Amino acid sequence: MQPAQFFCWHFMAYPYLPKDFDEKYESGWVTVPNKLWDSEKSDDLYQEYIDQLVYSEELGFDGMVLNEHHQNVYGLMPSPNIIAAALTQRTSRSKIVVLGNLLPLHLNPLRIAEEYAMIDMMSHGRVIAGFAVGGGPEAFNYNLSSAKSRRRFWEGIDLVVRAWTDDGPFEHEGPNYPLRYVNIWPKTKQKPHPPVWIPGSLSIETMEETAKRGFDYFLSSRVHGAATRAAANRFADVIKAHGGTYHPFRMGVLLSVYVSETDESARAEASEGVWYFLRNCLKGHLRRIGRTQTFGPGIPSQSVRSWEQYLRNSNPGEDRLGDAHSWEELDAGGSIIAGSPATVRKRLWELIELAGVGNFLIQFHFGNMKAEYARKSMRLFAEQVLPELRKDSAALFARGYPQLAEIAGAGR
Amino acid sequence: MSAQTVDVQGRKIALLRTGKGAPLLYLHGFADIHGASAGPMPFHDRLATSFDLIAPAHPGCADSDERDDLDSVQDVVEEYIDLVDALGLESFHLAGSCVGGWVAAAMAVRQPERVKKLVLIGPTGLFVSGKPIGDIFWVAQPEDGIYYNDLRRMLFAGADSGVGKTLFPDGRGEIPQEMLRYRMFRFASQVGFTPPYLYDRKLRDQLHRYTGPALILWGEHDHMVPQDHGKAYAEGFPHAQLRVVPGAGHSVAAEKPDETAKLMAEFLRG
Repeated sequence: MQPAQFFCWHFMAYPYLPKDFDEKYESGWVTVPNKLWDSEKSDDLYQEYIDQLVYSEELGFDGMVLNEHHQNVYGLMPSPNIIAAALTQRTSRSKIVVLGNLLPLHLNPLRIAEEYAMIDMMSHGRVIAGFAVGGGPEAFNYNLSSAKSRRRFWEGIDLVVRAWTDDGPFEHEGPNYPLRYVNIWPKTKQKPHPPVWIPGSLSIETMEETAKRGFDYFLSSRVHGAATRAAANRFADVIKAHGGTYHPFRMGVLLSVYVSETDESARAEASEGVWYFLRNCLKGHLRRIGRTQTFGPGIPSQSVRSWEQYLRNSNPGEDRLGDAHSWEELDAGGSIIAGSPATVRKRLWELIELAGVGNFLIQFHFGNMKAEYARKSMRLFAEQVLPELRKDSAALFARGYPQLAEIAGAGR
Repeated sequence: MSAQTVDVQGRKIALLRTGKGAPLLYLHGFADIHGASAGPMPFHDRLATSFDLIAPAHPGCADSDERDDLDSVQDVVEEYIDLVDALGLESFHLAGSCVGGWVAAAMAVRQPERVKKLVLIGPTGLFVSGKPIGDIFWVAQPEDGIYYNDLRRMLFAGADSGVGKTLFPDGRGEIPQEMLRYRMFRFASQVGFTPPYLYDRKLRDQLHRYTGPALILWGEHDHMVPQDHGKAYAEGFPHAQLRVVPGAGHSVAAEKPDETAKLMAEFLRG
C-alpha cells in the first residue's frame, strides 16, 4: 500500500519589494534592479526559510523541494545545493529534492555529479536528483544559447548518471563535454543512483527523453485537473512506447496550497502573500503584463516542431496565472488552492482521483507571506489533510495499479 | 527566378537564385528574405535586375536543414564555402545584412581571393568596447505578451515603421511567417547568443586579409549595431568606405530598398 507523496516546496522569494514594484518594473527577473535587495532586512531570511523546510519534516511531509533560479525575486537559490547541504545537517528522514540543477549553466556536468553524490552521502541517501534545462531567464542570465542548451542537457545527464554508476576512470567522448578522466569521489549512497526527476512543460521531446532513460517526470507547468490528467496520459503513452509501465510515482505536479481554519480566514490570511507572489514574483515569468523571459521567440529553445505546435494551441493575448483579476478566478483555476482543511482535502482528492499522479510538490509560502501563516498552513495540512489523503490514495493506487506492489522504489 | 535547394555535404540549403549578371552571394539578416519574408523583397528584386543574385537561407532558416552541431559563425562560413563550391562559383561579389553581414565578413577573410567586392549592411560581428550590439533576443520577447515595439525600434528607424509592422506585426501573425522568424532567431541564438554576443572578438584583427574593395552601409538610425562598428569595419579593411543611409534604421535593405540597391549596384559595377 503506497500512498501519494507530499513534498513541501519552498521557492524562497524575496519579500521586501516596494509596494509600487508592479507599476515600475517590467520584470521580476534578470533586469530587476538589485538595489532593491536589502541586506539588513534580509539578515534572517535564509534561516527562516530553512527552518520552514525543517518544520515540514517534523510535520511528517515526505520531502523538501528546492530549485535553482538566478537574478530574480521569485526564488533566492542560485545554488540549491547549498541549501540542500544545510538541510542534510538539520533533517534526518525527509527526502531532499533538488528540482533541479540547471545543467547547461554549469561549465562541466561533473561538478553536478560530484555535488549530488556529496549531498547523497551527507544525507544518508535522501537525495532526489532533478535536472532542468533552465528557462528563458537563465538563458539571459548566463548568456546561454537556448537553442544549444537542449543537446548539451541530455549529454550532460547521461554523463552524470554514468559517472555515478560506471567504474572509473573512464573517458567520456561526447561532443559537448569531452572528458578524459571521469572518476568521481565520492560515489552516491543510493544504488544504482539517486532517483532522477526531470521537469517539463508538456513538450513531447522531454517526455520521450525522460521515459527512454526510465527517469520520472515532473510537470512544471501550472495546469491542473483535466490538463494534469491529459499530461499523465501522454506520459504514460510515451513510457509504454518505450517498453515501460506507468504508475503514479513516475510523475509529479506542482501546486500551491494555503490552509486555515475556515475558507474565509484562509482567503484573508493568504491574500497579501498570494497577490505579492502573482504580481511581483511571476512578473517576467507567468504573466502576460510586462515582458516575460520564460518562453518566446527570443529564447528559441523549443524545437521547430514544438514551437509550431505551441503557436497553434496558444493565444499570446491570454492572461496567465500572474494576471488573475480576482480571488474567484484563482480559485477556479485550481493552481492555488486555499481554504479550510475540508475544502483543501476535497479539492486535492478530486485531483488525485482524476490525475493518477503520485507526487505532489506543494508550495506553502507565497511571496511576502508572514512566516507564522506559512507554518500554520503547513501544520493544518499535515494534521488535517494529509492523513486522509494518504489513506485514500493508497487504496486508490492499490486498486488502479496492482503492479505497484512489485515495483521496488515506487513510492517510498 | 527560382527557389531551389542545394545538397551540401548531405545537408539541404534552400536558396533563391534570380536575375542575370555577375554572381552576387547575398546573406540575409532578420528583416530580410528567409529571416522574416518567405519570398524576395523589393531590395532583392532591384538587385536581380543587374546581378545573378544567390540568396541562401542560413542553416535552420526557411527550408534549409537545421544543424544540431552548429556552434559559431565559422561553421556557417564553412557551409557557405561548400555551397559556392557546389555551385561552381570560382569568384563572386559577396554581400550581407546584420548577422548575414557578419558571416560575409568572416567568409571574406577566410577566402579573400574569391571575393571580388564586399558589401556589408549594418553587420554585427565586431567587438567594440563600450558600444555593445543591442540585445535583439530580449526585445523579441513581446511587451504584455503581444507588442513588438521594442523589437521594431531595434530593427528599424522607429517602432511604427511600415515595413517593420509588416514583417514584425504585433500579436500572433500567420503561422508560416511566425515560423520563419522563429527559425531565424534559433539560428542567431546558435551562432550569436552564447558569449560573445553576436560578435567574434578576433575578427577585427583578421579584416586586413581581405584587400579587395569593401562598401560598408549603415542606417542613420541603427538602434541595434552602433555606427562605431561601421567605422571599425571601414578602418579594418584596407580598401573600404563607410556610407550612411539617411532615414534608415538597422534594416537598411528593407527600409530603403531603392537607395541601397542603387548604392550597391554602383559600387559593384564601378
